Amino acid sequence: MEAIVVKNLTKHFRKAYDKTLKGFFISLAKKEKRYKEFTALDDVSFSVQQGESYAIIGKNGAGKSTLFKVLSGIIAPDTGSIQINGKVAPLIELGAGLSRDLTGSENIRLNCAIFGLNKGRIKEVYDDIVAFSELEEFIHTPVKFYSSGMKARLGFSIAIHIDADIILIDEVLAVGDKDFKKKCYAKMEELRDAGKTLVVVSHSLKPLRKICDRALILDQGRVADVGEIGAMLDQYENEKKPKKKKQKGA
Amino acid sequence: MLAEMMKYKELLYFLVHKEVRIRYRNSLFGFFWTLLEPLGLMVIYTIVFGYILNVTEGRGEGIQHYSLFILSGLIPWTFFNNSMKKGTKSLSSNASLIKKVYFPREIFPVTMLLSNLVNFVPAFLLVFVVALSLGHPIDWGQLAMLPAFVLLQSVFTLACVFFVSVLNIYYRDVEFIINLVLRGWMYLSPIIYPVSFLSQNESDLVQQFADFYFLNPMAVMISLYHGIFYENQMVSPGFIIYTIVLSLVLLFSSWAIFKRLNRRVGEVI
Ligand SMILES: Nc1ncnc2c1ncn2[C@@H]1O[C@H](COP(=O)(O)OP(=O)(O)OP(=O)(O)O)[C@@H](O)[C@H]1O
Ligand SMILES: [Mg+2]
Repeated sequence: MEAIVVKNLTKHFRKAYDKTLKGFFISLAKKEKRYKEFTALDDVSFSVQQGESYAIIGKNGAGKSTLFKVLSGIIAPDTGSIQINGKVAPLIELGAGLSRDLTGSENIRLNCAIFGLNKGRIKEVYDDIVAFSELEEFIHTPVKFYSSGMKARLGFSIAIHIDADIILIDEVLAVGDKDFKKKCYAKMEELRDAGKTLVVVSHSLKPLRKICDRALILDQGRVADVGEIGAMLDQYENEKKPKKKKQKGA
Repeated sequence: MLAEMMKYKELLYFLVHKEVRIRYRNSLFGFFWTLLEPLGLMVIYTIVFGYILNVTEGRGEGIQHYSLFILSGLIPWTFFNNSMKKGTKSLSSNASLIKKVYFPREIFPVTMLLSNLVNFVPAFLLVFVVALSLGHPIDWGQLAMLPAFVLLQSVFTLACVFFVSVLNIYYRDVEFIINLVLRGWMYLSPIIYPVSFLSQNESDLVQQFADFYFLNPMAVMISLYHGIFYENQMVSPGFIIYTIVLSLVLLFSSWAIFKRLNRRVGEVI
């Protein structure tokens, strides 16, 4: 059975424009459109099987985070359909879902409540979350005083403990230290073996090879290719290398 | 809407609790500020308007105990004022959360309303303490209606907060406009003067204005609270029905606007 089915998904953004009255009159005088549209996702279709680990790779600005935001409902798509079977835990970019003014412990409770855990269940998972993040000492410190790695630890620990069926992981491990990364990769494999669906965005490709089954290459909002992880990573790396050489030669 | 709210009652409880607790964090008097703030304002207004400007002189019959009059209008007004100010920013100040996870965003305006309600109820008890200590008579029949007054005011306030909170995402001007509007709105409501002052005023302009005075729903609602202590401050039933209908219509329309504008909140915030 499919965990995620996305069909012909398209999302346009308005490029930054001058919203002030002054800007309004200038564009009126110049008789030009007030804003330019920018296509962040262009006719994206793919599906992820239940229990599968799926990687999404692509350059900066390819639309990976945007895709995750659409999948988790933060951004509404323009056209296309999304079907999701199961509970989604999105872990989007750094500081995912953490409120700066709250302490670590308050953030755990807040996030658990957001994902619909009841009081009893929150109590059950609270200790596990703290233990996994190894933040016992700082758990009563406001998150605004956390280092990036500490935020990543907290975010990741919460996301894997809220009984989600589908976990979207975007780039959060990039700032974790070596030991924590290792622990997370091990945990991700464990989750996969336990039948959870993982969708991972990462620029560090090596670990993906071990964790993921399939991959999707996103290029300027379009699906460039979908296939078995090894083949996709090779293709993506080869595509990148000639360009680098050219730059060096120039 | 209510059904969805029930699903998130744990979250709502957490947010309201946090809001109430955080408001007075790092302050010496803590929750007492709920009472100290209106008391302080009462003293200021009583000195400025009651003594320096001496507004009650010669026409103050019917508003015995000017300080009580001020307090009984000021506390409901503070509820509205604070809900609006905090409510305007309720979405924009939670950007870090809204950008990263999805859950019904109406929770934020509702949280602001509820947390201000938590402050409002004990503050209104203060009015009784003042009334009793001044030996002022209380209309117990009107007092029984208090929950209905609070409900009506909450509906109206929530309607306004839905609208301004989501609009503030698109144009931050709303924050500045609201501050100005609230200031003017307060003076257009019977807080430092009773409505009877308008009819006693000889200026034609004021006389004409007096006919429209109760089109301001806050004027009606503040007068309802006044009615508990001052029977001559009652409003005609027509205006009460007008306020109820207006509040409900506003709630439904601002809810629709909220839903509509909410679609792009995740990307513009
Ligand atoms: N809210 C927004 N408003 C306007 N444009 C946006 C918005 N969010 C993203 N974009 C644009 O959409 C494009 C895709 O951004 P996105 O964050 O999805 O990239 P990404 O693939 O996650 O990149 P990275 O690898 O750097 O994380 C970018 O050009 C970005 O400027
Ligand atoms: Mg990204």
